[in-house]
Amino acid sequence: MKIDRLTVLALRNAAGDPVRSWLIAVCAFAIAAFAVSTAILVSGGQDSLQLAADRLGADVVVVPRGAATEVDGALLMGTVSRRWMPQADVARIAAVRGVAVASPQIYLESLSHASCCAVSDMFIVAFDPRTDFTVEPWLHQQLGGTLGSEQAVGGSQVTTPVNSNIMLYGYTMWLRGKLEPTGTNLDRSLFITLSTAYAMARSSRTTAVKPLVIPKDRVSSVMVKVTPGADPAKVADAISRALPGVSAVVRPQMFAAYRTQIAGLLHVMLVVLTLLLALALVVIVLLLSMAAHGRRRELGVLRALGASRGVVVVMLLAEALIVACAGGLAGVAVAGFGMSLFHTLIASRLGIPFVYSSGGALTAQIAAGLGLALLAVGAAAAVPALRVSGEEPALAMRE
Amino acid sequence: MKPAALAIVALALVIAVVPQFTHCKAMTAMSKHATGATTMTVTPMRCYWSARAEIGVGVPLALSGVLLFLSRRKESRRFLALLSGTLGAVAMLVPTVLIGVCSSPTARCHTVMRPTLLAAGGLVVALSVAALALNELRPAGAAGGDSAGDVVASRAPVAAS
Repeated sequence: MKIDRLTVLALRNAAGDPVRSWLIAVCAFAIAAFAVSTAILVSGGQDSLQLAADRLGADVVVVPRGAATEVDGALLMGTVSRRWMPQADVARIAAVRGVAVASPQIYLESLSHASCCAVSDMFIVAFDPRTDFTVEPWLHQQLGGTLGSEQAVGGSQVTTPVNSNIMLYGYTMWLRGKLEPTGTNLDRSLFITLSTAYAMARSSRTTAVKPLVIPKDRVSSVMVKVTPGADPAKVADAISRALPGVSAVVRPQMFAAYRTQIAGLLHVMLVVLTLLLALALVVIVLLLSMAAHGRRRELGVLRALGASRGVVVVMLLAEALIVACAGGLAGVAVAGFGMSLFHTLIASRLGIPFVYSSGGALTAQIAAGLGLALLAVGAAAAVPALRVSGEEPALAMRE
Repeated sequence: MKPAALAIVALALVIAVVPQFTHCKAMTAMSKHATGATTMTVTPMRCYWSARAEIGVGVPLALSGVLLFLSRRKESRRFLALLSGTLGAVAMLVPTVLIGVCSSPTARCHTVMRPTLLAAGGLVVALSVAALALNELRPAGAAGGDSAGDVVASRAPVAAS
């Protein structure tokens, strides 16, 4: 029997029992939709953390002792850190063996719903342009210069247009450009120099609803680049030993709390997916077993007419897989459409950052989700198909 | 046809009701005067007006869905399916093109209201297209499709004719 005839027969059989077909399609839909949305969410979270770590560009981040999670939260989710470390520590860190550059940063926040601030609750990163390696290289590359006073660079989601003024604490700055998206709070942040931050704080006493207070001789964190060939872990150890009041975190361990959260989310999603797969397998095996039992005579006639056991198995599998393919494609489409609309809401509710993975990775995730649905339905359909096809035609026709 | 009409009614309620609870209400802004005194001004945001406009889309859409459910004339169903599809498209255009929502990507109107309206509007358009296709494919006078008259006419006493 030719393949196209088998397909037509399988299609007719699938259409002949709409309830069974719908149930199989729903199972495939649920598996594909859940697998694809889990893959998009988890890989989006991991990619976002990687992009944020790359954006900061530091091999080691030094923060006040016990404030690592707080600083991670500030950078990723915009919860401003109130912990400070002495500015004198910057020179002491720079003197540690293996440290090439130590660049201080101060984390600030604009006021909520105040007429003196163009943007409410905006996260502000103030850096030292003489030592910075987070924004300055990008500025040199993209804009061909450094960031001057009364100038700022924004994250990709800052709503103020480039080359226009942005006012914070009643202090007006010129927005020179916007950085690439990372999916974290850095996208909603404003990057300014330390001198601009101090000028804004001075101005805010008269121009803002509430003055901006920056503690004297204090910084929020220090970004460290190690010398070529130096081991960042050993440098971090040396910094922690030299300065007891700080914590030094190497790049792979940055955002540790968020990495753990994403790993936990993946774990929960995998457990749910396993349960969903088990349930779908049971439902499909039962459905197809009942259907195959009811069609024993018909299949017996087919075998008696010369169809081999393989043809019967292929026909039964094709029936299930055609329906599963339709359900799986619908599941992938709904998951993709739903994630594109609600990813911000879902990521913020789960407390994780999110950015879409590359096109290749997304395609692989979609293919994997669809493949999993087809594999599950195929495996479930194979059980009754093999059983019913192995029966003697004469015996099957008699019943 | 009838399940699609019922789904359109349910989605119309989503379009009309959800924005009323997910817009950013109003922007309160503190201002400082030369005298040192501070005042607070309240300005409705764009999403507030979008939410108001969606009432004007959702109510006629619900009515259109109900009439689509009740109607038996092929021509009426064709018109109602087209009307529902157009209103679904308008529901999507209000928070994106016609009025918009707040510019902040983390605002509730941006994360909840806009995607909900896009999803609901998109589903209404898809259901309307499906209803239209089913209506055109179904032969005149088929079950549930009495082309001789609408629901009122079909209930007219036989003796009267």
